[in-house]
Amino acid sequence: MHKISNSVTKKDHDEKVSGSVKYVGDYPQIGMLHGKLIRSSYAHARILGVQTPELPEGYFLVDHRDIAGENIVHVVQDDSPAYADGEVHYRGEPIAMLVGPNEEETTRYARLTEVTYEVLPAILDVEESETVFFDYHYERGEMEQAFSDADQIFEEVFYTGYQEQVYLETQGMIAEYKEGHVTVRGSLQCPYYVHGAVAKVLGLTPDKVRIVQETTGGGFGGKEAFPSFLAAQTAVAAVKAQGKPVRVVFDRREDMEFTSKRHPSKSTYKVAVKDGKVTAMDIDVIFNAGAFTTLSPVVLQRGIIAAPGVYNVPNVNVRGRAVRTHTVPTGAYRGFGAPQTFFAVERMMDHIAKALDVDTLTFKRAHLVKQGDQTSTSGIYHYPVPLPAMIDDVLDRSGYLKKRKNYEKAGIERDRHGIGLSLWFHGAGFTGSGERDFIKAKVALQKTADGKVEILASNSDIGQGIKTTFAKIVASELSIPYEEIRISNPDTSRVPDSGPTVASRSLMIVGELLRRAAIHLRSEWREGEAQRVEEHFVEPEFMIPFRLDDFHGDAYPTYAWGVAAVEVKVDALTGVNEVVGCWSAFDVGTPIDLNVVVGQMEGGVLQGLGYASMEQMNYDKDGRIRNNSLSDYLIPTAMDVSHLDVQMHIEEYPYGPYGAKGAGELPLVGIPAAYVAAMEQAVSFPFSHIPLTAEETLVALSGQSAREAQKT
Amino acid sequence: MVNGYAPSGMREALDILSKTSAIPYAGGTDLMIQEVPADTNYLFLHRIRDLKCITVDAEYFICGACCTYTELLNSRHTPDLLKEAIARIAAPAIRNTATIGGNVANASPKADAALILMVTDTLVRIQSKNGVRIVPISDLYLGRGQIDLLPGELITEFWMPNNRAHLPHSYEKVGGRKALAISRVSFAGISDVSDGQITHFATAFGAVSDVIIRRPELDALLIGKSIEEAKVAKEEYLAKMDETLVPIQGRVSAAYRKAVCMNFLEDFLAKNGI
Amino acid sequence: MKNEIRFFLNEKEVVYTGSATARLLDVLRNEFELTGVKCGCKEGECGACCVLLNDQLVNSCMVAMGFVDGGIVVTIEGYRKTNQFRVLDKAFATTAAVQCGYCIPGMILAAESILSRNPHPTAETIREGISGNLCRCTGYNAIVKAIEIAANEGEGLW
Repeated sequence: MHKISNSVTKKDHDEKVSGSVKYVGDYPQIGMLHGKLIRSSYAHARILGVQTPELPEGYFLVDHRDIAGENIVHVVQDDSPAYADGEVHYRGEPIAMLVGPNEEETTRYARLTEVTYEVLPAILDVEESETVFFDYHYERGEMEQAFSDADQIFEEVFYTGYQEQVYLETQGMIAEYKEGHVTVRGSLQCPYYVHGAVAKVLGLTPDKVRIVQETTGGGFGGKEAFPSFLAAQTAVAAVKAQGKPVRVVFDRREDMEFTSKRHPSKSTYKVAVKDGKVTAMDIDVIFNAGAFTTLSPVVLQRGIIAAPGVYNVPNVNVRGRAVRTHTVPTGAYRGFGAPQTFFAVERMMDHIAKALDVDTLTFKRAHLVKQGDQTSTSGIYHYPVPLPAMIDDVLDRSGYLKKRKNYEKAGIERDRHGIGLSLWFHGAGFTGSGERDFIKAKVALQKTADGKVEILASNSDIGQGIKTTFAKIVASELSIPYEEIRISNPDTSRVPDSGPTVASRSLMIVGELLRRAAIHLRSEWREGEAQRVEEHFVEPEFMIPFRLDDFHGDAYPTYAWGVAAVEVKVDALTGVNEVVGCWSAFDVGTPIDLNVVVGQMEGGVLQGLGYASMEQMNYDKDGRIRNNSLSDYLIPTAMDVSHLDVQMHIEEYPYGPYGAKGAGELPLVGIPAAYVAAMEQAVSFPFSHIPLTAEETLVALSGQSAREAQKT
Repeated sequence: MVNGYAPSGMREALDILSKTSAIPYAGGTDLMIQEVPADTNYLFLHRIRDLKCITVDAEYFICGACCTYTELLNSRHTPDLLKEAIARIAAPAIRNTATIGGNVANASPKADAALILMVTDTLVRIQSKNGVRIVPISDLYLGRGQIDLLPGELITEFWMPNNRAHLPHSYEKVGGRKALAISRVSFAGISDVSDGQITHFATAFGAVSDVIIRRPELDALLIGKSIEEAKVAKEEYLAKMDETLVPIQGRVSAAYRKAVCMNFLEDFLAKNGI
Repeated sequence: MKNEIRFFLNEKEVVYTGSATARLLDVLRNEFELTGVKCGCKEGECGACCVLLNDQLVNSCMVAMGFVDGGIVVTIEGYRKTNQFRVLDKAFATTAAVQCGYCIPGMILAAESILSRNPHPTAETIREGISGNLCRCTGYNAIVKAIEIAANEGEGLW
């Protein structure tokens, strides 16, 4: 292993372990106003009026009429208002904000504010939606020929549910407006996304907007686009507050019910098989986007590119749609569309193997992509695919082969056992040409006269350790002790735009820019002088340019790889299961810090297990999400999975720093498929959806259809 | 104190309770998730030593209503069945404050400690300024969240009969995860079988209906019978239980609750050789 | 009747004169500015607000001020001055157990609560001991490992 992988004490360790670091909610209240959002009570309605109770001095209402710029929160397309104007499109959509000096009183006045509505018909079911926000399609090979030549054709529909990020710190923002300048401080992943959104809504030029990331208690995608909304709303309130800062911190229920979460999906796979090999996949993916487009186009792109899985399928036809419903807008969550389709394709391959009466792992191995093969979008896997060695490693550590054989006999005891395995990749960095065309990342290193070096980049440390890994890279190239490298939470008045903290890109893309900047600084180092060096993104030359109109070319420069085996024990009396163990192998290239990377892998695996099992969220016939508390939406505790075994494999990527690739999202992506594969073996029933409940498991054990159980 | 009383003795507490509408505060873990009017007064009970006793006498295991789950888990007197149920409640920080009396007084059908008190036919000691009454716990529950306490009355002790507390038992809980899990279905059964004769048999089902379900008149179908006779009576017993168990829809469906209850019951019969 | 609630907070006797029904969490954060005590749910479901009350781990969101009268409260701000903290601090650094950091003050006090009762806990005991402290980042392995390391390194402290 590269020596840079040796772990260090994280940059943010001391201030966090001692409880001394301040999150948004921790700043003293003195002089600060509180904001409480007033939200729609209906999934779809016309607003007839908003009536506050009589407000004492110092309390006021903020709504769309207070917006000086455009009433649009910019994400990808400009369809989402900051405050609803005339019509609301989901239950919980912000209509106004009540602002005042006392938090409890502000909340009370917000509750007493009456909104009158004319209720309109709401579309809650994706199947009934008439609005397709995005409709993508790509094709490769000769589909008709492949299906007409097929020995057998398999068709199946797969479903996945919501997943809520449950970052431990809820969304929070502080905005202050003084002398024509606005400063917004918040819990967020992407300072420059927020910067653009706030400038647009306030109608200010970029130089009058300053965004500061405060220490952020977890993100997982939930603080990618959503903070742009809260920042815009809070900034509008701050303008009206005339110099006083306004703070909004969500309570847990508000956060769980009204912030973006993972898209529920329906994926239909039709697969042609000839001579025991998959020759074609015809795939139709539908994501529930909720009421506004937000990040759905990019989530959908990643989802459908991953849809054929890690398999070499000569003929592929993929259609993907993100459709509108009158529900909370869905958005980014670790994996970004890929967990949905990887769940589907992995289950599909298992089910085909079962139908063909061949060993599922042997079947999958016969289809694995390798270096030089075409990707689903006619790009190329430019670098080695280490899956075979990773599979062997997981087999070895998990005892998969022996267990798989032993558990194949249907159990009669109370405990039923099963083990399953899944394979996946995660495309590292933005999909397509986003880095080159949109982000154009820029970093800087600032050196003081006395030789202190500071990293200037807009990527935020949300727990994933980017301050640590960035500092290690720069320290290594400059031969300066790591402890002496300075890095603060990004502040747009100080740092250039090195892009957002998303898509497993920060370390691979921005880390490499910093490495080059450090080399540059080293070569020009002048003692006793203040210096600044900058570095700009350059697309690697080997890339086949990606075209979005027909999904053609290299969607990603390289891929991170994952293999996992999950073993379960199911209680036949209750359908309740226990994850006995999860053995996984990951290739994210060179770990810039082994502890940091392993921590990402372990955390991601547990989120994947939660997604597949206990994390259930749905809305009722009125479009209301009922699972809005931590007692109703369960995430794993320390007791739920005690054996979680991660091993790293290293396939270096020459364009990432020291060979590093994207890491953060990978571990979650393929875990649900392995979990459900294990459940299938334990109860001898083919499942096609997550989350899989104890109730459905019990029904399956008693021989009925699990889908029927879900419907009742 | 503002909005509260913290008496140091029982007499003072009962006096306050008789004169005010203060809400007894034992461990607070149920109260603190409820929204209360700003003028609510709590009667804090943590200083009253009498409410913290844990002891056994010739007939009963006795514990004060304000014993926390942790205190009960740590006591050598606490019967294993009760410990088994308590050990699976919430997590340590909650168990350090939540009390057995609070669990009963909250009158939730999901109350895990109360389920054990029900299956063991525990007696509840209730005190007021005017005196003491002792009632079987099953008489206390009127419905979900409703308990048969008069104004001024306080639950002070639980008396669990020794001849019930230490019988062979079965405790089952379905939660959504391994800790911090509210029961979705729970079951407790105790049985006394000696020389092939069933001298005692009791079952209770939690988290399936508005109140914990305990049907001694049905369990009586098996009492006094030999195992062989019980096998004959089993069909009738299960049919009657099936009839009496009418679960309600909650986080899980009524059908699921019913199926699991019957599975637990059959499993408990099988464990007893029936 | 006196309108005061007196208790020891991080080794200093303090007086609180507000409502006895107020949450300990809110009072610690707002009146005493001890913001190391985090609020994650206000429902006793996450453990971010854990403090020690009379040497026992409690969720401060689930405790009314009247219950604290005469008690001893230790928050992360007080605990971080102890030798035990130093050992835990180092162990958590060794395994990089701190990611977003929001669960950590509660987690550290949960660790203290485990070790003060059982200086050499098994991994299973540790997992049970932190089972009321949700962490969404780590998958818990690094935290469990850190507490094991602290148990070994802190010989004699607990």
